[in-house]
Formats: sequence, structure tokens, C-alpha cells
Amino acid sequence: MFEELMSIFMGDSVNIPLIQPIVDTLMGIPLINLIVAFILWRPIFHILVIPGLLGITIILLWIVYWERKLTARVQWRVGPKEVARRAGGVIQTLADGIRYFFQEVIAHRDAHKLYFIQFPLISFLPVLLPLLFIPAGSVWGIRTIYALPIALALISLIPVFILGMGWASNNKFAYIGTVREAFIYFAYEIPFIISVIAMTVIYETADFFEIVAKQSIIPGVFINPIAFIVFLITLLIATSRLPFDIPEADQEIAFGPYVEYSGILFGLVMTLPYEKLYLLSLISVILFFGGWNGPAIPILGDLAPALWLFIKAFIFMSIVSLTRSIYGRYRIDQTLKMGWSKIMALSIIGLILSAGVAIW
Amino acid sequence: MVKIVKPPKVDITRTVIGHLKAIGEATKQAIAPDTITIHYPRERRKYPDNFRGLMIFSKDECISCFRCAHICPANAIQMFPDENGRYYPGVDYAKCILCHFCIDSCPTAALKPSKIHDVAFKDVESMFIKEMDGIPEIKREDKKLVEYDFEEDLKITKRKYVENLIVEVPKPPRPKMIAAVKSPENCIGCRLCFFACPVDAISSKAEELEIILDTDPKKCTGCGICVRICPTDVLILQPVREG
Amino acid sequence: MEEYPLELAITPPREYEVYFVPVPKELLEDSYKSDDFVVFVGPQHGGSGHMRLIVRVKGDFIVEVIPDPGYVHRSMEKLAETKLYIQNIPLFERPSIIDFGNYNLGYVRAIENALDIEVPERAKYIRTLLAELGRIGTHLYDAGILAVFIGHTTGFMWPFAVREFITEIFARITGTRVTGSFIIPGGVRRDVDEKTLSAIKRMTYAMEHRLKKFERIFIKNPNTIARLKGVGVLTKEEAAKFGVVGPFVRACGIEYDVRAIEPYEAYDEIDWEVVVGTEGDSYTRFLVRVEEINQSLNMIRQLVDNMPEGEVISNDIFSFDKKDIRGSFFEAYADLVLPEGEYTTLTEAARGTLLYTIVSDGESTMPYRVRIITPGWMYLRGFMEACKGHRLADLQAIYGSFGYFPPEADR
Repeated sequence: MFEELMSIFMGDSVNIPLIQPIVDTLMGIPLINLIVAFILWRPIFHILVIPGLLGITIILLWIVYWERKLTARVQWRVGPKEVARRAGGVIQTLADGIRYFFQEVIAHRDAHKLYFIQFPLISFLPVLLPLLFIPAGSVWGIRTIYALPIALALISLIPVFILGMGWASNNKFAYIGTVREAFIYFAYEIPFIISVIAMTVIYETADFFEIVAKQSIIPGVFINPIAFIVFLITLLIATSRLPFDIPEADQEIAFGPYVEYSGILFGLVMTLPYEKLYLLSLISVILFFGGWNGPAIPILGDLAPALWLFIKAFIFMSIVSLTRSIYGRYRIDQTLKMGWSKIMALSIIGLILSAGVAIW
Repeated sequence: MVKIVKPPKVDITRTVIGHLKAIGEATKQAIAPDTITIHYPRERRKYPDNFRGLMIFSKDECISCFRCAHICPANAIQMFPDENGRYYPGVDYAKCILCHFCIDSCPTAALKPSKIHDVAFKDVESMFIKEMDGIPEIKREDKKLVEYDFEEDLKITKRKYVENLIVEVPKPPRPKMIAAVKSPENCIGCRLCFFACPVDAISSKAEELEIILDTDPKKCTGCGICVRICPTDVLILQPVREG
Repeated sequence: MEEYPLELAITPPREYEVYFVPVPKELLEDSYKSDDFVVFVGPQHGGSGHMRLIVRVKGDFIVEVIPDPGYVHRSMEKLAETKLYIQNIPLFERPSIIDFGNYNLGYVRAIENALDIEVPERAKYIRTLLAELGRIGTHLYDAGILAVFIGHTTGFMWPFAVREFITEIFARITGTRVTGSFIIPGGVRRDVDEKTLSAIKRMTYAMEHRLKKFERIFIKNPNTIARLKGVGVLTKEEAAKFGVVGPFVRACGIEYDVRAIEPYEAYDEIDWEVVVGTEGDSYTRFLVRVEEINQSLNMIRQLVDNMPEGEVISNDIFSFDKKDIRGSFFEAYADLVLPEGEYTTLTEAARGTLLYTIVSDGESTMPYRVRIITPGWMYLRGFMEACKGHRLADLQAIYGSFGYFPPEADR
């Protein structure tokens, strides 16, 4: 049976010349070679290393620190600096995470205990599932031509889990925040889908591989900049970034649906918007910035396109986190009005523009 | 004269320009920031010479006049006797508000200001300093000195320099005063002044049915306790005339 | 839309009887029977300052707001009856710590009225300088709090950074960053030297340079305008009826400024303008205060240029050195006794009109009664009325635009 598994794994393996000598030596040892072949099997490599769990962990460790540092720089001060002083405080997020482990997790008397504790853990499901469908060049999970609609549909499941968390908290402020979260979903979903449709109309396909192949000369952002602007604004609304962080408004409703969480559950819950931002920035890089196009590095072999995609998403996320220092927060009715009038008009203009480009 | 302010009108061009200006300002600050914070406690701000910090007390000049204890708004100063029986002040820094009314009241500048203010005490009892003589010993953590000054914009100068926290202040131009008798006919012989004088400059003699009290001008330090304690307003403080 | 009242047999949960809330139980039961929500925006809340607000919300609209002040009440008026007249000066500058110039001035002018003390010219100019610097500091603080209540963190950090200029200048004049206790009956405690005066003038230019950047990122930001414009409108008649004071009544169109109506200190010798707005909404209240900062900077430059030479302590006060009270503070002030009567002063503090009344019985060195009415207490009613009919998220915007400061209102 081991031989059957080994043949399946070796048949679709990722080829990285850099670590090939280590892999060759490890292939000699009987049980380790199964594990190494399993990790290097293409779908598992995609979901575990890049752009999967290891990628998400590196992004999370970096983006929280970077956002604090960048915001501090704009605000005439210096951000976190003390934890590893020589390195400029880079491991601040790790220190925060370790601190959350030591705090007490309190589930109060009036909460629905089952949902209250389980939902932050189950909410990783709609985050990791779309990741299976987004390929990274030469590393892919499930390769179909319907990958883009499936990924978008799974991403839109995330607000349901946030609603569950808010409802299970059984708290007045959590209730107000949950209702706002449900409302804001209606503000951004339709312009978001229209702008994605505008890009697929230009590329004439919904398959990720062909989209990236068509952007080898000009990236998508120059073909249809209006669709990019609409995508960017709806990305800000979807991931609750300022100026639209209405469901988790700190001053008005004391953190909204997450108000009753403490300890490690709070740490998990706080990373949820960042993970959604990661997914949406991967999609935006593929649609608008050329995906994994980049000069090939022979020593990294199959890893090079995946690394290009990762680096581009990294830079995109770092620049988007500047909005925290520019804007305050809109009201919920202003956002809904904006979403259905101005942003919808912009997205339809983008659709017409891309229809014109496609005809030409 | 009146100046009227009106909010601006809102239309699409102003909104877009407003957004672009805000984003431009933030990007400019992200690239070249005007940081004004300092890395305390390794760097420390330079304070002016009249900064209100903890009080430094020198016992040689104190005349035990009790003025500081009377004027303190927070009742933070209490007087404690030493082995000779004279009273000297002790400050409770848990109550002190660093207003320096006591320093302004001290006639001989025995209490002096200093720049020490951000020290930590190990427990609450040690905040009540009963023996204040001399300069307190503090552990310094700062290595650099930051000075704020104003030119076109804020100008920050950082130097590798540890500042001396003890300041030299001149004595106030107050002449020496001694107690003198203003209205001797009011004296009722209660001898409160005789008991209150810290340097025993008043002597009392009993002669038949009268008690005569005498002040000694050489011993008198001008503290004024006898003036304040006399119930019938007999004494007054007067400056010494030369010759 | 038709509304049908519900008749549900619901009692409010047990917790409402455990919290000591100052609303009658009928209000809670009433709100449970309809579809209103009663939300306690309490002292431990990110957006309430230190006071409790009991908000009754119908859907997203506020029906009424009931304030519950008194969380930080320190009983200053009663404490003042146990201290000497001079010992009350550090006590009465604590409501608003950076505006200590105005709070000291009101109390000290009452004593000077009672004892008929004449203040030299240079001391008047220095006192006005302290008052105006305090006004700028308070307006910057309020701008920062308004920004953080609508979620704009940069708009919170930048005014506090600029406020650092003011505290640096205070440290050079008085020796401490806030709560200077510098103004005493008859003048000020110490003289200000030339180096400090030229630093003050350079500081005004540095502050304008930084405030231009603040204007681009917060004041003219379309997000801020959308959040604050048309929110919390008080008409002229309503503002006068509810007794609103300070820049908040000037924003509704009424030109009332104590410095212009009954000038004190050096206000009638310098050139300045009363800032008035026309609409009574939150954005105008904010703009009025921004313009007042510009006016104050102008006033400070004129005061520094025209500062007369002379002494800073009056001749009616016993002091050996007329430029420094050190050494004779006790003889001058420790046994002040005011003649019998009642003495009242009005001052224009940063947030509005400040009233002091000292009642003396003619014999003791401690006042019989001191009455202080702070501006926060006076406009609390107007603040509550302005919230009616707006959305729940506007409560914080209106709170920030009024600059309500609980330690000042609760004394």
C-alpha cells in the first residue's frame, strides 16, 4: 500500500532544485520519505506551505506589526519597538499571541456556550476553503475552470460566521454590531461581483491560468482602472478596514460582535479580517497585477511563480493598510447609500468600459 | 468685531480633491515623517531651570518657622523634631502636588527646587520622607538629552549628555527680620511666646505679681512663631536696620 | 408607516435592578413592551468619557438621552470651605488642567474685587497670555477627542502632538507643564524673561505650520464633513432656551463672548474678533473652535510685541522683590481676610462662561462659601436636546463636537 501512495505522491510532485539534495537524502529513510513526499505533493504543498497555512502565518505575523508601524509613522510617533529591540520590534505579534494564550477565556453565563466557543474555530473553514481554489502559478490545489466563481462564493460565507458569533454573545452591543455586519454585506456584494465580471469580460475567460497568461504584456489595472478602483473600495468594505470598519466600531458599540471574547478566542477572532484581506488581495493580484508573472529563477524551480504571487500580495496588503491613518469612519446608512448609488454607478461604468475594450 | 465662519459647500469636485489631498498628506508623512516623540526613559527632555520637581532641603539654613507646613494646600508637610528638639519639615510625596508654595514661603531658602520629578518609590511608606536633609540618591536610566526648540517648525536636538538635576537658585532678597514689641500694654503674661520659641530667645522673669518677658535680639532668627501665636497681638516682625 | 403597539408580558431582566440606574423602572418596562432598546453607554465604554448616558433607541434612531453625571465628582465647593483663600488656587484649577489661566483668573479676580487690589500692567499682559495659551490647548484637546470619537486616529494624535508645544511653553513660564497655579492676587508669581517671550512668538509660527497639515488630513477631509455636517443642529431659539454657553452658542448665531461684553485684564487693549457661526450643526461648532485657535495665536503675538515693562506684583501686596514672590509668599497671603459680602466674576474659559462667587463672613481666613459653575454643566441640557432624532452613531459625533468634559462639569 505504501508503494501505491508513494507513486501517487511522486507522480505530481513540486520540483525545487534548491532543496533537492536534502530531499534526496531524506528519501532514503523508510518512513520519512513518505512524509516528505506527502508534503511535496502538489495539492498538499499548496494548502500547507504557499500560499496556504505557512503563508498565512507569515502574513499575519507581519501585517499586524506593519500596520501599527506604518500608522505610527504617519502619526508622528514610532510604533512598537521594545520586544526585540535590536530588530526594531519585529516579533511584536508573536509576543501578543503568546500573551493571549495565557489569558483566561471567559464564556459568560448568558451566552450560547456551544456556538460561542466553536464559531471562532469553525470560521477557519470559509477562509481555507477558497484558498484551495486559488492557484499560485505552478502550485495548485484543485484546478478547474470554475475556480473564480467558487472562490468568490466561498468567501461570501465568512459574514455568516461573524453573525453567529455576535448572536451567541447575547449582549446588546453585540446585537447592534451583528445587525450592522449583516447590513453592510448588502452594500458591497453587488458592485464587487460586477467589477469581477468586468475583468472577466476583458479576458474572455474565468480560468485563473489564462487570465494570468493574458497579462504578460500589460497588467489588468491599466486596461480597466475604474474596475480596479471599485474593487479596491469594496475590498475595504468587505474586510472592515477604515473608513468602513462599522461593525466593529470601537467607540460606538465597543467592538460589536466580538465584544465578549477574551483570551485566545479573541486572538483568533481578531485575525479573521486579516485573513479575508489576504484572500481578496490574492484575487486582486491575479486579476489586476499580473498574478505570478515575473522573471523565472532557475534555482527555485516550481517555487518561483508562487513566490512572485506571494510577494505581490504582500506588497499590496502593506499599501492598503495605509487607509487606517487617513480616514475616520462612515455611518452605516451613509455606507449603504454610497454602495447603492455611487459605487454601483462606478462599477457599471467599468462594465461598459470593459465591454468597449473587449469589442475593440 | 465679528468674524463669521461658514462650512464649505459639498459637491463632487471638492470631495474628490479633498480625498486626494488627505491621501497625499498621509503618504507624504509615511515617507518622510515629522516624528516628535522621544524614546523615554533612554532619552529625556530638557527642563528649564525653574522646573517644579522635588524639594531639596538643607538643615543648616532652616529656622523652624513652620511656614511651609502652614501654607501647603495638600497638608503634605509635617514637622518632626530631631535630637536637639528643633523641628524640621518632612514631606509626604503621596500628597504633594508640587505647587512649590512652600518654597515660595521659605524665608531663608532652606527649601530649594530641583528637576527631579519622575522617580518611583518602592512602597507607599517610603514616600513619606521624614529626614529630608541632603540630596536624594536616584538611579538614572537616561543616556541622551532631547531639547525642544521652535524655528519654522519644531526643532529637536538630541545630545549624548546626562543632565544635572540639581539647580543653583539665588537666595531671595529678604533682609533679616527679628521680633520686636509693638504693643506691650496688651501682654497678659500667658507665656505662649516663651514656650513656642525654637531657639529660646525669650526669657521670662516673675517679679511680684507681674511677669516680664524679654526678647534677645542676638538669638532671634526671625521665624515669627511668637508673633503668630500671641493671642493679644503684642509682637511684630521687623527688619533689622544696620547700625 | 403604521405602527402597532405590542402587548407583551415581559419584565426587565434582573440585571437592571442590580445596577443602580437613576431611571424609573417604568421607563425600562415601557421600552421592553415597544421595540425600543435602552442602551447604557456607561463609564467603562470606549466612547463615553467618564459619565453614563442612558440612551433610548428605536431601531437606529435615538428617542432620548438621559445623562447621569457625577461619576468624577470631587466636591470642590465643600473642600474650599476648609482651606485658606490662597490654598484654593491649586484646587480650583483642577477641573480643566490645561486651561488653568482662566480658572485661576476667575477666582483671583473675585478676591481682588473684594480687597481692591490694583494689578500692574505687565502682570495683566502675562495673565492674558496664560489664558490664551490655555484656550488653544483646550481646543486642541477637544479636536483630538472629536477625531477619536468618529474613528480617525490620526486626527487624535496630531492635535495632541501640537498641544505639546503649549505644554513646553508653560514649562518655561511657570515651571510645570499643566496646572500652573501661577496667578495670585496682585499679579503673577514670577516674571517672564526675554528668551521665553521670543520662544513664544516663534512657537506661534511653528504651530501654524503644523496646523496646516492637520487641516488637510482632518478638517477638510470629506469623510469628516460627511460625518459632522447637519448633525446635531441647535437653532438660535433652542440654544438660548437651553442656556448653552461659549463657542457652542456662538456657532448658532448668537454673539455672546464675555471678553467682548465685559472686558477684563488686557482684552480691550489688543485687536481681536469674536468668531460666530451661522448654522448650529456639529461642523460649525468645530470650525468656530478652529478659527478661535487662529484668533488666539494672533492675540498672543500682539501681547508679546506690546508687553510693557514694569513690575509683576502689585504695590498693595507685601513683597520684597516686585518681580518674584519668593520669600514673602507667606506674609503676603496667609492671613487674607475678605470683607463681608458676596463677590462674583464672569470669565470666558475655553468651553464657555465660568462663574465664581465667593461669600465671606468678614472674620475668618477661610471662605464661607465658594460657588463655581463650569461651562460643561451649563450646556449639558443643550447637548442632550441636540441628540434627539439622530442615529446612534451620531451620539459620539455630537458628544465630540460639544467637547463635553466630565471632570469639568462634575467639578
